[in-house]
Amino acid sequence: MRTLVWLLVVGLLALLGIALSQLGALDPFKNGALTVASPLERGLRAAASPAADFFDNVADRQDLEEENRLLRQQIEDLTAEIARLKEDQFMAADLAELAEVENSRPDDQFLVARVIARDPSNLKERLAIDCGSDDGVSEGMVVMSEGASLVGVTSKVLDDFAWVTLITDSNSNVNAMVLESRAQGVVNGSLHDGLHMDLIPQDAEVEPGNTVTTSALGGNFPQALLIGQVASVRGEAQDVFKKAEVQPAASLSRLENVLVLTSFTATRLESP
Amino acid sequence: MRYLLFVPLVLFVALGQVAAAPYFPLLGVTANPLLVLLMCWTMVRGSRETMVLIPLAGTFKDLITTDPAGASVLALLPIVPLAAIRERWPTEGEFVPTLAAVAVASLSYHLVYMMILTAVGDGPPWLQSPTRVILPAALLNALVTPIFYLPVRWATALSEMVRPGMRVAG
Repeated sequence: MRTLVWLLVVGLLALLGIALSQLGALDPFKNGALTVASPLERGLRAAASPAADFFDNVADRQDLEEENRLLRQQIEDLTAEIARLKEDQFMAADLAELAEVENSRPDDQFLVARVIARDPSNLKERLAIDCGSDDGVSEGMVVMSEGASLVGVTSKVLDDFAWVTLITDSNSNVNAMVLESRAQGVVNGSLHDGLHMDLIPQDAEVEPGNTVTTSALGGNFPQALLIGQVASVRGEAQDVFKKAEVQPAASLSRLENVLVLTSFTATRLESP
Repeated sequence: MRYLLFVPLVLFVALGQVAAAPYFPLLGVTANPLLVLLMCWTMVRGSRETMVLIPLAGTFKDLITTDPAGASVLALLPIVPLAAIRERWPTEGEFVPTLAAVAVASLSYHLVYMMILTAVGDGPPWLQSPTRVILPAALLNALVTPIFYLPVRWATALSEMVRPGMRVAG
């Protein structure tokens, strides 16, 4: 009987808490809790980091780790550079498109934020950053890696912190384009199955190694922001659309700092 | 008095889960140390203390993650009735029923959690979840159970030696 009463009371209180959270009434408490917890979290993460690295890479970890980090950074930088150059090439060939791109992408302004936590849920791909509405961050802002590739979008903003939904989250959808063929599609996250680009027209030429960037379609992301590279392409001749697996350019599991693009306002956030 | 020790310990585990657990993925998922600890605690020491710890730890975890406050509390609630597994287990010993209870608690945790996320418009893909998250997470949580079960068991045995009759009724 005691257990039953406890289940009912705690269950009802929890439901009340969920309702209040949805209304944003508990945001100050969340902000306060993160303010207190984030230094401890950083300490714990720093303490666990060697074990996590060991877990990642058992042999020759120090050298390989550093080398791997540098190479990944170089690959990301170079791929982003290639993406930019390819985009420049296309833009030079089409002045009308150039004008459109210039209009849609004014001088970029960024806010550097530190990653302070990852959501531990197995069902979400989100991370917390140490910038919030007091720093000028608002919901829906585009977040990039230091190598200028797409990381995700801010989905919950508190006074001093914000949560970023990564492009690999199962609820993430990004209008994208294969640079080489200009084929359009939608890059979706999935549940522990990487990134996929769906809705690629069957007649579009897409090959492994092709560069995937954001498209301006929908107005929710700036154009030509590097997402990743095509790893493989699936789809039979009779299928309406092709599907490609995309390898993200940013090392999403090991982000330490990110850039919040404050100068771009997504269409869905613009006031009518 | 014992809660002065237990509450910070459980809050620390909740914090550790948020800070460090995502960096130790196995089978494509990460373990839920808080759930495993609370289930072991309930199986070894009874549910009385867990009934205090679940609301505190669950709320604290929700405050430092994207979950709506109360989601983890609801998802952790089945731990208390699951303690009945211990009484109904056909053989002697606590460890095997604890493993079973952790696996079942992990399954129920994800089911309740997914229902809450779906209700608040943040739902994961239900069809893919059983094979990619729910079952691997149940297996992983069962695998890490000894890490939590043994210290809880030893600490309880120690406290019983120091103060006979201290074992908490379920």
